[in-house]
Amino acid sequence: MSKVLEIKNLYKEFGEGDTKVEALKDVSIEIKKGEFILIVGSSGSGKSTLLNMIGLLDRPTRGQLVIDGIETSDLDDNQVSLFRNKKLGFIFQFSNLLSDLSILENTMLPRKIAKKTENLVSEAKELLKIMGLEEQLDKLPTKISGGQLQRAAIARGLINNPSIVLADEPTGNLDSETAKTIVQLMKTMAKKFDQTFIVVTHDRDQFGEVDRIITISDGRAFEADNTEMEVMVK
Amino acid sequence: MDYRITVAKKMLLSKKGSLLGAVLAIGVGILVISIITVIFLGLQNAIIRDLKIYQFGDLMVTDETGLIDKSDQLIIGWFESNSRVIGATPRLTSSTDIEIRKDGELIELFGVPIIGVDPLRDPTVSELHKTVAEGEFVNSRNSIVVGSVVAEDLGGIQVGETLKLIITNRVDEEQTEFFVVNGISKTPGGTGLDSNLIMPIDTLRDLIDRPEETGNFIVKLTDPDYSQEIKELFLLSFSNDDFEVKTTQEAGRDIIRNFSSALGMFTLIGYVGLMSSAFAIITIQMMLISSKTRDIGILRSIGTRRKDVLIIFIIQGLIIGLIGASVGTAFGLAFTTYAKVTNMSFAGSLELEVEYDFASTFSTALTAFTLAVFASIYPAYKATKLQPLEAMRGV
Ligand SMILES: Nc1ncnc2c1ncn2[C@@H]1O[C@H](COP(=O)(O)OP(=O)(O)OP(=O)(O)O)[C@@H](O)[C@H]1O
Ligand SMILES: [Mg+2]
Repeated sequence: MSKVLEIKNLYKEFGEGDTKVEALKDVSIEIKKGEFILIVGSSGSGKSTLLNMIGLLDRPTRGQLVIDGIETSDLDDNQVSLFRNKKLGFIFQFSNLLSDLSILENTMLPRKIAKKTENLVSEAKELLKIMGLEEQLDKLPTKISGGQLQRAAIARGLINNPSIVLADEPTGNLDSETAKTIVQLMKTMAKKFDQTFIVVTHDRDQFGEVDRIITISDGRAFEADNTEMEVMVK
Repeated sequence: MDYRITVAKKMLLSKKGSLLGAVLAIGVGILVISIITVIFLGLQNAIIRDLKIYQFGDLMVTDETGLIDKSDQLIIGWFESNSRVIGATPRLTSSTDIEIRKDGELIELFGVPIIGVDPLRDPTVSELHKTVAEGEFVNSRNSIVVGSVVAEDLGGIQVGETLKLIITNRVDEEQTEFFVVNGISKTPGGTGLDSNLIMPIDTLRDLIDRPEETGNFIVKLTDPDYSQEIKELFLLSFSNDDFEVKTTQEAGRDIIRNFSSALGMFTLIGYVGLMSSAFAIITIQMMLISSKTRDIGILRSIGTRRKDVLIIFIIQGLIIGLIGASVGTAFGLAFTTYAKVTNMSFAGSLELEVEYDFASTFSTALTAFTLAVFASIYPAYKATKLQPLEAMRGV
């Protein structure tokens, strides 16, 4: 299976001197197409920082980040924007949707930016229907519930067939019932489209069985499950 | 539609207060310029209009070297043989001293300009006779019309009273003559001959001992558009003389020049006002952008380039400029129309000659529009500096 993401010896530092924080230390990860990956770890461990690096929303201090075979550190601001648009889908905990556009318009936005508008309306409607939002197409984000917002965000994350969908605590703001359906939707979509998901969460149990779990601890990445398996094999 | 237009439009419409503020800033700026234009251009045109009907006619013939010594019949005959001429009439100007005495004692002696008119022809060419508010226009040899300002100076002289004039003739002899006040001349705004005395031209010629001589001829045409053509024809016919012929526009040139510079100055003030509208737009858009940082962050995270953010907010400038310029122009035209249909007058007396000036209306609208677009560049540029993460974290 092809590699969609390759992180090698990645470091991220914030600030300088006394206030310097090493948020990521020597992180190396490889992720294959179609994998559903959880990133877990305690608060302040560096999960969001890692996700933001992968999402090209921030730049690493050192190290390599290769997405779909493209080394991203050489990209300029325009190329990074294009890259985010084409290769990445984003689901955040809050503030996912533009407040002045309808759910349908928000969903279509990544494709409009990419100028790939063929069959866009029908595809977006189809996707929103899968998300159970066929009744909410023309509503503004302020007029729907938190769970519905996250479903719309998933739809928007998928509309442009990205290489990776990144989600930072997508269920963090939801009650457990709603959270369950959101998790279910993400997992279903991952299967259906062979879509890579990297999801940061506080609550790994919510997700049940996933392909891999990466634990971040004090800026370092560990794959707890794999290590255990290796230990067992030995 | 391009998503940038959709986003720009919807963001702007979500802040109706900001949009309204920005549109009003531009609209009021344009309205102020329109008001200035209506008043100044209207005043200028009103003065030219009055000078034309009272003093200049459509054409005014003078002699470059002094008085015209050709006979009335010759000049008037020439003009009136042209079918485009309604009439021509001679005028002669001089001045007189008027004594104000009380109980036989001289209190004041002051000089007043006198204008001599042809009592029969003048009313066919000029509207001066209509300025007679009380009494009648000059008719008999020793009848006189007194301008209202002069009448005031004379202690409120009445129609029917006698006026003693002392006039110095060409050989410096003082001639004393008594006149009966036939009428008082008064114009709104004093654009007529309110500061003059009007008497029959032949009487004046005699008094100053210049028979047959004329200061100028004024000519009324069926249509002022023929002014230039008839002027040239006249000069050609009398090419051996030193005649000078001025159209109304030429005669009023100094007045127009003065008004244009005043108008220019006030319009400049109007444009400075428009500049402050531009600053208002900058402030309003900065506020709009700071209330939308989260949205900008989202847009950036899903692939909107810096350039696109710039475009989105400049599109907003375009929208503000377009609506503002339209609303302002509508305000301006509404005011102009109001001034026109109500025959608005300046300082309560002089009726403005209001005209639609579409060229300047358009250029004002264009300037306002351009300013709005330029004003949006700085806020738009600021918006491009937002980093997606910070933008989404903020607020
Ligand atoms: N922009 C920043 N400037 C300075 N320090 C930062 C910045 N972003 C993150 N950090 C620091 O980096 C470390 C990792 O933060 P990060 O947000 O990645 O943690 P997290 O694992 O996502 O935590 P949580 O579970 O609370 O979201 C923290 O110590 C944090 O204070
Ligand atoms: Mg976090």
